[in-house]
Amino acid sequence: MKRLLMSAAALGLLASAAQAQNVTTLHVINCGADGDLPVQNEHIAAWEAENPAYKVNLEYVPWGQCEEKAISLARAGDAPASAYMGSRTLKMLADNDLIQPIALSDEEKAGYEPSVLATVQFDGQVWGLPRAFSTKGLFWNKTLFAEAGLPTDKGPQTWAETLAAAKAIDEKTSADGIGIPAASFDNTMHQFLKWMYSNGGQVVDAEGKVVFNSPQNVETMEFYKELAQYAEPGPLAYDRGKLEPLFNEGRIGMIVHGGFGRKGFSNVDYGLELIPAGPHGAQSTLLITDSLVVFKGTGVEEPALNLVKYLTAPERQFEVDKQGGWTPVRLVEGAEETLLADDPNWKVFLDGIAIGGPEPVMTDYRAMQDILIEAIQGVVMGEVEPAEAVAEAQSRLEEIAD
Amino acid sequence: MTRRFDAFPYLLLLPAALLTLAIVAWPVMETFRLSFTNASIRATEDYVGFQNYERLFSGGFVAIIWRTLLWVTLSVVLKLAMGLFGAVLLNAAVPGRTIFRVLVMPPWIVPIAIGVFMWSWMYNGQFGMISGLLQRWGFLAGPFEFLGYRNSAFLATVVTDVWIGTPLVTLYLLAAMQTVPRELHEAAWVDGASRFYRFRRVTLPLIAPSLATMALLSAIWTFNSFEIIWILTEGGPRNATTTMIIDTYKTAISRFQYGAGAARSATLLILLMLLTGIYLLLLNRMARRARRLEEASA
Repeated sequence: MKRLLMSAAALGLLASAAQAQNVTTLHVINCGADGDLPVQNEHIAAWEAENPAYKVNLEYVPWGQCEEKAISLARAGDAPASAYMGSRTLKMLADNDLIQPIALSDEEKAGYEPSVLATVQFDGQVWGLPRAFSTKGLFWNKTLFAEAGLPTDKGPQTWAETLAAAKAIDEKTSADGIGIPAASFDNTMHQFLKWMYSNGGQVVDAEGKVVFNSPQNVETMEFYKELAQYAEPGPLAYDRGKLEPLFNEGRIGMIVHGGFGRKGFSNVDYGLELIPAGPHGAQSTLLITDSLVVFKGTGVEEPALNLVKYLTAPERQFEVDKQGGWTPVRLVEGAEETLLADDPNWKVFLDGIAIGGPEPVMTDYRAMQDILIEAIQGVVMGEVEPAEAVAEAQSRLEEIAD
Repeated sequence: MTRRFDAFPYLLLLPAALLTLAIVAWPVMETFRLSFTNASIRATEDYVGFQNYERLFSGGFVAIIWRTLLWVTLSVVLKLAMGLFGAVLLNAAVPGRTIFRVLVMPPWIVPIAIGVFMWSWMYNGQFGMISGLLQRWGFLAGPFEFLGYRNSAFLATVVTDVWIGTPLVTLYLLAAMQTVPRELHEAAWVDGASRFYRFRRVTLPLIAPSLATMALLSAIWTFNSFEIIWILTEGGPRNATTTMIIDTYKTAISRFQYGAGAARSATLLILLMLLTGIYLLLLNRMARRARRLEEASA
């Protein structure tokens, strides 16, 4: 009897081992920290239940290293099945044959706002599915505006009003007028792009030609130079994260941030506007998406694509958006009403979806970022004249253009 | 009579030799090979001759080399000076010196990233201690961002590096000082030599080899110091703190230009090898001098 039981146990073990061998693991790299999005874990568990032949190994990697990790693994021939990447990297990944295009039916495409889909689309194909989306607005501190004798029913709508408000706050209160991030970090470039779009400027045109040296962009740099006089001292030491406590403590009158920034501003009675309009443009914003991509050559492209589509299905994606505080990626019926009922400030971020501009697409986007940041820093520090900075950036961008 | 060749010792050495080849020699050779290619994230790579090196030296890399040398020199000189000063104090026969020896260690024990984050907050103009104290004492009219301006950011990274690196130098030199024979000091004292004279003519020459060793090691570590600058400034503002290692990382890892990054690494390696060569020459001379001194005193 004992021998029989032992044989049965051994057979059971062998069977479960065999079953385990039949389960294929999908390695997925997710930027951020475990616990950021509990609802995503629920969705993955549900997908695994529907697809018992697969197990998802979800690896969280901090933002600073996650893109490098996914790309380095891919280069070394050990690509993850899928990864969460800034959509700005897609062109580089696609041009280097690392990711595969994602075929979407017209119906699936219709589930996205065209401006959102545009952030992951080039050469006529979609290269990733938007996972996180942000539009940005100008937060202004109503208390400081009142203290400076500025109107508090409406925030700045134009650059002239922004400058006047920053100057007044700087001169009439103990706070600085505005927070400008100018550290050697990506949101220095992003911040500039928002003002650039609100003045009708561009970095590259629809054909991919570098068109940075334009009167609009020189004007934007000049505006930045003026604005820097009323910003926090030493803007080159600040990225957006370091400015958040300054705004929350009432030490700066204005800050540009996304909807997800609201949770950090609990101490402030703030108003929100779209990015004020420049002399040659209209109020606008920058559309930034992060996407889930499917890597090539992993042997699990099909289930990975299935997983990615499952996770970004409208209802599931909306749950993730709500938890992350992100602007909704997908067009879900009733989403707008739900968000506005929850917080009327959503209006600015939702209005921005249709009118904002995307991140410029270049294969060597990191070089582009460095070039733009150096130009911005030079102007903010007063070391380079705006026109000179724009012209130099143009020539350096042309060198790295595709 | 001819000696028979005994292979056994070589067999014993073989595992270590293979390991060294695998983890040191092969990566170095691979780096040199990559430096002559246009390797990037593309799966294929082509041989491009000296193109990476030509681009390197026709661009801003020469300025980066000079900046690195300045950063390393400032940092190493300060670490050695402060370490020597600290070692002299800790070597003095004062009550409770063991406690002082322990108190010297925290900057070196605390994980570098945590220490550097602490410094980054201290350098903050709005909330940081340094700017706050300087304002309170009337040296500053308003908040000053130490990491927001070229010169102050450069010096701030040096100060942080010195803070982290000094304890090890102190303890190393302290250990060296404790090997100096007491009789030499006593003989000099009997001859009427002052405390400073004894330090200059007895202690310093005898610890010179240790000082040189520490100078070289410290220079190598400082050359390769990455996390301090990266966490504080990422090489900014406007490249004011971009050293060779930061530039290499940005090129090879951030921009995925592995070939160009390897050319930078290879240049860094050659510079460090030159430095090591100079050090070995100096060390030999110092060792000879120390031997002469000991023989003279015997």
